Amino acid sequence: MAIDSKNLDDSFAALAAFDWGKDAAPLAAIDAAVIATRGDAALRADLEKRLGAVLSSAASRAAKDYACRKLSIIGTAASVPVAAALLSDADNSHMARYALQRIGGPEARTALRKALETVGGELAIGMISSLADLADAGSVPQLAKLLTADGPLALAAARALGRIPTSESAAALAGAKVGGEVGRAVKDSQLSIAESRLAAGDRAGALALYEAVSKEVGEVPAGHRDRDVRVAAIRGMVVTRDETSST
Amino acid sequence: MSCFNSFAMRRLAKVAFLTCLGVAVNACGDLSAIELTETASSQKAWTDVADLVRSADADLRAVGIDRVREGLVGESFTRQAADLLSALPADAQVALLAALAGRGDPAAVPAVGRLADAATDPAVRGSALKALATLGGAAEVPILVKALAVEPVKATARKALVEIRGDGVTSAIAAAAGAADPGVRALLVDALTDRRERAAMPGLLAAIGDADGGVRQAGIRGLTRLGGPDELTVLVDEFLKSSGDDRKALEQAVVGVCSVNRGKERATPLLLARFTAAADDARDALLPVLARLGDPQTMRVIDGMIADPIQRRRGLEALAKWPDATVADRLLDLFSKTTEEGEKALLLGALIRVSPLPDNKLNDSQKLELVKRTMGLCQRNEDKVKLIERANAIRTIETLRFVVPFLDQPELAEPACLSVVELAHHQKLRDANKAEFTTALDKVLGITKNEELVERATRYKAGQTWDRNKKS
Repeated sequence: MAIDSKNLDDSFAALAAFDWGKDAAPLAAIDAAVIATRGDAALRADLEKRLGAVLSSAASRAAKDYACRKLSIIGTAASVPVAAALLSDADNSHMARYALQRIGGPEARTALRKALETVGGELAIGMISSLADLADAGSVPQLAKLLTADGPLALAAARALGRIPTSESAAALAGAKVGGEVGRAVKDSQLSIAESRLAAGDRAGALALYEAVSKEVGEVPAGHRDRDVRVAAIRGMVVTRDETSST
Repeated sequence: MSCFNSFAMRRLAKVAFLTCLGVAVNACGDLSAIELTETASSQKAWTDVADLVRSADADLRAVGIDRVREGLVGESFTRQAADLLSALPADAQVALLAALAGRGDPAAVPAVGRLADAATDPAVRGSALKALATLGGAAEVPILVKALAVEPVKATARKALVEIRGDGVTSAIAAAAGAADPGVRALLVDALTDRRERAAMPGLLAAIGDADGGVRQAGIRGLTRLGGPDELTVLVDEFLKSSGDDRKALEQAVVGVCSVNRGKERATPLLLARFTAAADDARDALLPVLARLGDPQTMRVIDGMIADPIQRRRGLEALAKWPDATVADRLLDLFSKTTEEGEKALLLGALIRVSPLPDNKLNDSQKLELVKRTMGLCQRNEDKVKLIERANAIRTIETLRFVVPFLDQPELAEPACLSVVELAHHQKLRDANKAEFTTALDKVLGITKNEELVERATRYKAGQTWDRNKKS
């Protein structure tokens, strides 16, 4: 399907003035171009550049939302800087992460890690969530430090570490001196990592984690949550030791 | 089998892995080494599982029982798990039995069988019987049969007898039926039927000649569902010898074999041949059965009988059993020509029966036309009542228009109310003719004394539905 340049230009002009509540039909040429440029690196690079330019412009939040959605499909490392620039913008941070997560790659991960250093509050929790979705091993030291941060950040970091099944994250969780809700999230994450290890065939690694968690909660757990953790750990130990069954 | 294969594949993969690493692998020696390692680890896992299963903590026990169901592959572990049964409390036994059944390893059968045979707790015995249905085979049939006599687990045992699989199971059930008390024998014959296997046929055929009525009826039920041309000769023999309820049931069985069951196209000619070769009294008995099948060759026989003054009555009785409205013209013609009241009543009854039948022999318009012609022949109110009540099987607005005038005849008003309400039950018909139905339903509400009809008419008028199943 050939691209009609005039239509595409009109569509980008409409995107520049687009907002929620307006007719989205004029944007159809961009949707079509996303499909039509498949397999044509040059045309796609041009389309990516024009969409990226929308992110850098004074366009509305709706227009940037649209551009991010398209970049999540066709975006490459070239779009990371313009998307990353929106990570600290409360209105656009979420959609920028949406695009960056799907673009992926070391550039996107680095951008998210850098943003985690600079943004705070809910935006930081968003960065943590995206890094966990990308199972970004490089973010483990940052996440480990956050285990002792304020409540919601520490909780997000504890849960994120459970989704990054590396030795480093397991060590960070094991060394965490935290209690309460964060402490319980730490144990849940330790169990998650153990499950991942077992699924990957690392029985010894999984068993060590299950045993550590079981030992930590003790034979007489303090509350029902710890009791659940103990039952899960014991189950994990039995499954891990059973070499007759597939994991 | 799949678990074993998976286990074996993993072992082979390990040998291949060691070989890739450059380890000089003597297949037998290294496999033994691997086996030893796995055995030690898995044995530790088994010790844990056994402790968990014995635990008084319900959550931990559930973990152990889950591992019995899903893990620790191998007959040795199955036997060890099954051996735990005897030392557990009842609720844990029930859970472990279900897990062993889910595990699917027959190695558990001896321990499960002991509980299925002799557990005093009905829940435990029931669970053991269910497990045997999954794990057992022909050798376990006697345990299931014995449990049929124990009221609290009777239904479970019967279900297990239907579900249990394996070579010789059906024959074992049939053999047990031959030796059991009549009550149990009937249950076993029903179980044979529900298994739906050809191997059940000798047992079913033996049952229809049983001295006990309950067993005979069970055998007939079975042959009605499963019988084919090969069983027809015995069925007909028994039919001709039978009387009362057995005769009715055997007639139903012969009709089923010839019109519903597998091989029906071979069965009907066999029955016709049997009829042709039979003595007069047997022909008298078989003709109504043949008539119910609606076979064209039978019609020739019936026509011949009707033309013969001596056989006419039997011919008419056979014609009156015809299964569909294709004989309507014959019935009308015979009705118009006879002056004998008994014949008229017989033919009119047949017309009332076949005219609205919901088969595809006539279209709705033809059916209603036949109903109207039949109504014109009815002299007695009881015949008119039957016809008005049956007319609602023709779901058209024209039927409503046919029925509504009878609302004004006090002696026919109630059946007319019923038919109006039945027609209104069909929402598409009602919605497409809303005004006419509203008027008719209003009239029904002013006439009927039947509370259910009042409720239904009120709901249909308001555009609501009515659930027949909630009737009781």
